[in-house]
Amino acid sequence: MNKKKIYTIAGISAALVLSVILLIIKPTILVYGIQRAGIYAAIALPMALVLGIVHIVNLAHGEMMMVAAYLSYFICTTFGLDPLVAAIPTGIIMFFLGLIVFKTSIAHTLEAPELNQLILTFGVAMVLSQTVNLIATSQPRKISLDYVSASATIGEVSFGIYDFIFPALAAVFLAVLIYFLKKTRIGKAASAVGQNPRGARIVGINVDLTYTIIFSLASMIIGVFGSFFITKFSIFPAVGGTFTMKSFALVAMAGIGNLPMVIGASLVLGLAESLVMSVPHGAGWTPMIFFGLIIIVILSRSFRSKQ
Amino acid sequence: MSKKLSALLFALMLIVSMGTLYATGQQGEGEAKPIKFGGVWPLGDITGDQAAKAAQLVVDELNANGGLLGRPVELIVIDSELNPEKGAAAIERLATVEKVDFFVGGMSSGVHLGQIPSLKKYKKVTMWTGAASSTAEAAVGEGQDWYFHLHPWDYNQGNSYVEGWDDIAEKYSNISIDRWFLAYEEGPFGSASFAATQTLFADMEIDGEAFQSAAMGGGDYTAVLQRAKDYNPDVFIWAGYGADALPIMEQAKAVNFTPPLFIGAPPGWPSDFGDSSLAENVTLYGMWAPSISKVSAVSKKFQDAYEAKYGETPATYFAPLGYTSIEIIAKAVEQAGSVETEAVIKALKAIQYESPLGETISFSPSNVISNQGFRNQKILQWQNGSQEVIWPFAFATAEPAYPFTR
Repeated sequence: MNKKKIYTIAGISAALVLSVILLIIKPTILVYGIQRAGIYAAIALPMALVLGIVHIVNLAHGEMMMVAAYLSYFICTTFGLDPLVAAIPTGIIMFFLGLIVFKTSIAHTLEAPELNQLILTFGVAMVLSQTVNLIATSQPRKISLDYVSASATIGEVSFGIYDFIFPALAAVFLAVLIYFLKKTRIGKAASAVGQNPRGARIVGINVDLTYTIIFSLASMIIGVFGSFFITKFSIFPAVGGTFTMKSFALVAMAGIGNLPMVIGASLVLGLAESLVMSVPHGAGWTPMIFFGLIIIVILSRSFRSKQ
Repeated sequence: MSKKLSALLFALMLIVSMGTLYATGQQGEGEAKPIKFGGVWPLGDITGDQAAKAAQLVVDELNANGGLLGRPVELIVIDSELNPEKGAAAIERLATVEKVDFFVGGMSSGVHLGQIPSLKKYKKVTMWTGAASSTAEAAVGEGQDWYFHLHPWDYNQGNSYVEGWDDIAEKYSNISIDRWFLAYEEGPFGSASFAATQTLFADMEIDGEAFQSAAMGGGDYTAVLQRAKDYNPDVFIWAGYGADALPIMEQAKAVNFTPPLFIGAPPGWPSDFGDSSLAENVTLYGMWAPSISKVSAVSKKFQDAYEAKYGETPATYFAPLGYTSIEIIAKAVEQAGSVETEAVIKALKAIQYESPLGETISFSPSNVISNQGFRNQKILQWQNGSQEVIWPFAFATAEPAYPFTR
């Protein structure tokens, strides 16, 4: 068994053990933790895809999700669609928006130093958020839906059941991506490009086209997630920034290119945050827990690679 | 070019320039110089947008009636973008480039703290619609007679809540307000709200818990709602931002949390909050609601004019505040017969202004400054999609719905 598999199994086992302990101590922590982890994983997976194959840290990732959420909001309010239905047109529009963003900007910096790529995507993020601010203003918007507040009670524990849609969404995203990468011709080519772009080019794979498809596909996934996002959260132009940072941190924690581990990392962080928040006056510690855990994982990985 | 030709050209240019200057002077003599108001609001936010629109409404009304002191009135509004530096730069520009006679505006305390040094430099009559933080009052300091503040300070608001809830509990014996739980956003606004609540309601049982506001990258309130549910309070208040309003209601319903009184205390509500069924019977604080038009003719006149001009209902109390900021100065100018600072200050100090917010206001000293206008907030409640006043009883437009149900 290779090391990657060992770490994946170890991560999932840790999450399972933590889950069982929480289930015994306080079941709500487990429920909220899983729901929270689902949101993190669903948004981090497309970033992991882009980072693993195109090797770009897209600092406009959260802003693209924000644009998708606004698109979905306006589709819903204009045509009276449910956001879960609006996810389809939003995803398609975001595919083409991703394509335009990639071809007009990112494609030209693939050979440039990483700092240039970071500055470029940061610029794209600023352009997107300021454009939305000009068009839609900073006024928060939210679509009120009855099914979002659906509640279930088991024993004395009441919790929302709708939020389980996010772990389900993350699982669907993961399954689709794994199928795409392992079973389709383009996906296999993308995996090859991710591992060795020069080698892939030598054997005749169109690397530029592969990059374009992967970035556009990731944008489409972000589009679908944006439609789900407005069912739970208010949207405003600055809403994406936090999710860019959290997605990047999760991908770094999971290991570049390790899509299943994104789920494991999200689960560990979601449960840890939920546990801290359940402690009286502990809410302020959640960012410390989030980034503290990430620092520990990255440092330990660094020590292991040195050994 | 010969010297003669050069001299001829120079003389020609001189004649043309002097002719132009003379013509410009002649053109200006026939028109009165406008009286200028300089406004600064955050125009991307609904509060600033509606305050600026309402201020323009007064200016249009004044001009339609022949202006002020026979002179046209002009309003120049600059967007603060909720940024202290941009807010301060706006004051500088209004004073030096636009050369306005009066400053109006304001929404955020943080922005105002950045503007106060510039305002102190020019000492023009200033009528401020925002900034509730007493730190801003301290920054203005004593003896600044040109400074007029319309919005109640934070301690004014706190005192009015105590008075209001005491009155409500006394009048409605079924309403209990002994156990309080405050969910507050973890930034300065929420933390200060929690500290103030603990001080103001010291004789009651109070607990609280912080949450990360959606505006700061949060948006998951389940843990804080669970804590509140376990505490079983009579009154649950959340102090966050507009972005938290609908999600917190949805998540409270999802975890089956229904306290007898559910109060929201954001600075501004999303414009479509009342459209949601989750808004029903949510209590809130504010200075005005469209329903006040039912009990105040002045409020009705303002609201009708605003709706006729802009085709929308003013959704925040900053709209009547913006209107008040211009109209109250205009009335003082009329009484003074001048735009001179000393004369206008004297007239403002003596004014009794029937405001579209309901009350008749006059200016008197607060803890630090000399000219404080409003001192009370109102206690309101969402009922059938509208904000109804439940306190003060003099402005009440509905009985309180109690307990809060879903």
